[in-house]
Amino acid sequence: MTDALAILLGTIFVNNFVMVQFLGLCPFMGASQKLDSAIGMAAATTFVLTLACAISYLLEHYLLQPLGLEYLRIIAFIVTIAALVQFSELVIRATQPVLHQVLGLFIPLITTNCAVLGVALLNVRQNHSLFESIFYGLGAAVGFSLMLIVFAALRERQTGADIPAPFQGAAINMITAGLLSLAFMGFTGMGA
Amino acid sequence: MTFVDSLDTLVGATLLDNGLLINSLIGVVTMTVIGCLCALLLERAARRYQADELTIVDLINVRLPQTQCAQCGYPGCRPYAEAIKQGAPINQCPPGGEALIKNLANLLGRPILPLDTDRGETQPPRIAVIREADCIGCTLCIPACPVDAIIGAPQLMHSVIAADCTGCDLCLEPCPVDCIDMVEVQQTGVTALRLPRIDQDDLNLVEYPCIHCGLCEPACPRELAPQLLHWHRTEPEKMVDLNLSACIECRLCDRVCPSNIPLTATFQVAKETQRQLIDEASMAASAQLRFEQHTQRSLTSTTTLRARPQKGDRKALLNALRKDS
Repeated sequence: MTDALAILLGTIFVNNFVMVQFLGLCPFMGASQKLDSAIGMAAATTFVLTLACAISYLLEHYLLQPLGLEYLRIIAFIVTIAALVQFSELVIRATQPVLHQVLGLFIPLITTNCAVLGVALLNVRQNHSLFESIFYGLGAAVGFSLMLIVFAALRERQTGADIPAPFQGAAINMITAGLLSLAFMGFTGMGA
Repeated sequence: MTFVDSLDTLVGATLLDNGLLINSLIGVVTMTVIGCLCALLLERAARRYQADELTIVDLINVRLPQTQCAQCGYPGCRPYAEAIKQGAPINQCPPGGEALIKNLANLLGRPILPLDTDRGETQPPRIAVIREADCIGCTLCIPACPVDAIIGAPQLMHSVIAADCTGCDLCLEPCPVDCIDMVEVQQTGVTALRLPRIDQDDLNLVEYPCIHCGLCEPACPRELAPQLLHWHRTEPEKMVDLNLSACIECRLCDRVCPSNIPLTATFQVAKETQRQLIDEASMAASAQLRFEQHTQRSLTSTTTLRARPQKGDRKALLNALRKDS
């Protein structure tokens, strides 16, 4: 249990995927205009990332490694994760129309989210067990969600701020993201 | 021996030793199998969880004015929405006018077209009124009304329920004695403000642009952000987000504003606009509901109810009457 907690805290704060490892920056910038859509995106990513970790672990250890096909890892992961995302979109669309309206475009976007593939590949590199992989994925997703929601909240505050014209739009967002990233460097001392 | 072990022996003992060709063949076959499995899963899922194709039709439908006037050539607004999804032109709706065409072009990513004037011109909102002295109680207009806004019985005078009439003109055609008039609805003007600019008119103060000093925010007793509300005054959706409806019009922000901006007056205009938008939306929703019920009823009991009269029906009816006499 302490292992799980360590992995969770480590991925959420110390090795935060967005702020420290710089993965998943496209949805971080793209889906954070409004708090509502950020929360939707965060929920979708959490779901997909955790599931993708489990699937990619099974794929790696029960198919690729026995067949000696480690060199096909990236392609195989991409195909399965893409299929998984499409599948979850179909299910959500049919069973949760309201959720689907909120997530809308975001679910297919996760297919090309580098954080999803990145976490799956890092799991392999760090020789995690199935249990560890799932918690690693969950931690990465929670860390991603945290950053997305914090950043969306910051951006909503920005709409009311008096920003000089040259800094408006993407520029001020980059600066804000940079400051957030600096803040997260403070967690590095926590170890793990 | 497990499946993996047996594969291991198969691969390790016979295939791998035979070189690169067979090795890469395994890779190809594995990827093909993975791909096929994924495709199978998706195909099954797509069939099991039927995608809701109606959503885009719904999105188009809520943008249509819900007059159910059939000027577009389709029986009502929802059928037209379905046709638009299938590729019908978006410029066939005269009541919606240019604003609707722009809105739909935005939604569907299609080019903005000029309104097709063959279908009619955009007119100010109107409702039908029956000249009751002339009505002969023929009931021909009742099934013609797409939203069931006409009440009446055979041989008895009919009347239009003003609140439900969408001004579609469809009742004019079947009326044999032409006793229905279209009357323009009085527009309630947003410009009519209830309150003069307090103190400021008397002092002849000059109004300057907002400098975002923020003095109005602590002054507001409802903890709103008057400067933001003023900034977004032309965007109704933003105003809702900023909780405009909580404004009690106390004018405290007017008093502290160093730029002498009539903030409260701006908010009153915005509230009035908002009220009109909400009214229009609820009117459209009720018209749509009534139209759906109307269609449903005429579908289920075609034998007991007359079908919706077509353009030629009136002539046929008159001919039949003349023949009788």
